[in-house]
Amino acid sequence: MPPTVSIQNVSKVFNPGETNQVLALKEINLDILPGEFVSIIGPSGCGKSTLLRLIGDLIPPSSGAVLVNGKPAPQARLDQDYGMVFQAATLYEWRTVSKNVQLPLELQSVPKAERESRAREMLALVELSGFENHHPWQLSGGMQQRVAIARALVMRPQLLLMDEPFGALDEMTRERMNQELHTIWEQTNKTAVFITHSIAEAVFLSTRVVVMSVRPGRITQVIDIDLPRHRDVDTRETTRYFELVNLVREALRRAEAGL
Amino acid sequence: MSETLTLPAPIITEKQGRFSRWWHGRSRFARQTISLIVILLLLAFAWEGLKFIGGDPWRPANNPFGIEHNPPFRFKIASDLNLPHLWKIFEAFGRESRRNGPPLIQVLAGAAVFTFREAFLGFAIGGLLGFSLGAIFAHSRVLERGFMPYVVASQTVPILAIAPMVIIWLKAGWLSVAIIAAYLTFFPVTINTLRGLRSVEGTAVELMHSYAASTWTMMWKLRFPAALPLIFTALKISATASVVGAIIGELPSGIRDGLGGAILNFNSYYISGPERLWATILITAFVGIFFYLLVSLVEYLILRNRRRPE
Ligand SMILES: Nc1ncnc2c1ncn2[C@@H]1O[C@H](COP(=O)(O)OP(=O)(O)OP(=O)(O)O)[C@@H](O)[C@H]1O
Ligand SMILES: [Mg+2]
Repeated sequence: MPPTVSIQNVSKVFNPGETNQVLALKEINLDILPGEFVSIIGPSGCGKSTLLRLIGDLIPPSSGAVLVNGKPAPQARLDQDYGMVFQAATLYEWRTVSKNVQLPLELQSVPKAERESRAREMLALVELSGFENHHPWQLSGGMQQRVAIARALVMRPQLLLMDEPFGALDEMTRERMNQELHTIWEQTNKTAVFITHSIAEAVFLSTRVVVMSVRPGRITQVIDIDLPRHRDVDTRETTRYFELVNLVREALRRAEAGL
Repeated sequence: MSETLTLPAPIITEKQGRFSRWWHGRSRFARQTISLIVILLLLAFAWEGLKFIGGDPWRPANNPFGIEHNPPFRFKIASDLNLPHLWKIFEAFGRESRRNGPPLIQVLAGAAVFTFREAFLGFAIGGLLGFSLGAIFAHSRVLERGFMPYVVASQTVPILAIAPMVIIWLKAGWLSVAIIAAYLTFFPVTINTLRGLRSVEGTAVELMHSYAASTWTMMWKLRFPAALPLIFTALKISATASVVGAIIGELPSGIRDGLGGAILNFNSYYISGPERLWATILITAFVGIFFYLLVSLVEYLILRNRRRPE
């Protein structure tokens, strides 16, 4: 089976040839297999969002190649092979919550009745039932981010690209959302690329954690998370979980020290 | 639907009084309307105040308060000929416009409707043209660079020079007047449409890209709704400008049924009845304000779900 995402020797330079030139990513190699849940963790500014944008073909690489489902990334984008959650919720303020979630379906000309029922279903999943007719600015930051997740899930994409989706949530809601996301992933066999600053979250959700370092952004370590596939509240109390959390923490420390 | 989490309460500090609280509780539209009325009242006070200080003597028979008053000064501008009393102007509405003719208000109302229709048509043409130009420029820097200078230059040519030209081309009539009104209205719409359509920020566009949205989809699902507040700002300017355009357009076309004709007519009889010209000016202002409020109302209805500016 071809990898769902294949990043081959990718570098990204912003503003090449200008005084504000930035080498955001340097020679990244990463294959993500179908059904994997890969978290990317690293210091601020190390190029995590940039890497996710490259996979989604929202920006082109400066060198190297990105394949999604065996196709060049631009083709995969045209085929709508992924659903994306941005670091900022990016909801359209003139649309209600439900209409925001329906947006991708609307662009695919899904009939209205089906759009509405699917949006309702997804909003229930992210615990926002009853907020269908609110407007985004009437919700808290964390609620807005959950609407964005519902919007990414509503297309039922096989590949989910998520940029710190739970960054704005309190610890308890975050753990509940982690559980929800885990269940969705476990039950639907999706592939996920997940950016986070939370070590606990990365370990709990992932099959692999990719650690990056800054200036230039590169992968310093990839840690296999060999916890059982099914995870729940008890997982967070096992010794192996703690060991893995410590492993990731040390890897991050080394990455930040530039080792 | 639960209303508990909806409207963010306006920030009210202890210091703010009851009025401030009440005021900020009104909708934007209501606040606009109330401000407008207050300003009109202040203007009326200033007007009569000036006449009280420096106008012609007030005779008991000639003012509704029945007072005799000799103003301490004599300002030329405040004389009864230059600045008739407001009640004289309102009285004039009820009197016949010419010997054995219909009352002035009836004549002016007819003229107002006539001019409003021209202005509205001009506003529609100008708005559409302005929007189209803005939308084209927003999608093509080449066309923008090529044509924007001419669009700007067009606004420096006085409308008084353009108006006779349009009438020669299109013959005097409704349509040519509307075109002249359109000429005065399209420019702000072009500028604000362009600015609004371009104002859309990075991730909002990236989201559309992630859906592989076409330029067309991007336009109608994202750029246009995002530009609407700015477009409405321009439309409000255009609404009043279109009334001015229609009146100016009537003058060289020899159209006598509108407010432009009425202004010319009562201007030539100013000495024998200054209040009739003033009454016409009042009606003209009223048409402009009415049009402005009409656009504001539509704006309010369409944008009321947007985030309130802090
Ligand atoms: N469009 C852009 N133009 C120029 N430089 C950019 C652009 N986008 C990102 N960069 C630069 O690339 C580097 C990586 O940015 P990126 O947003 O990928 O970081 P990140 O790892 O997601 O950080 P954070 O955790 O704070 O979100 C930064 O130095 C940033 O300044
Ligand atoms: Mg980021």
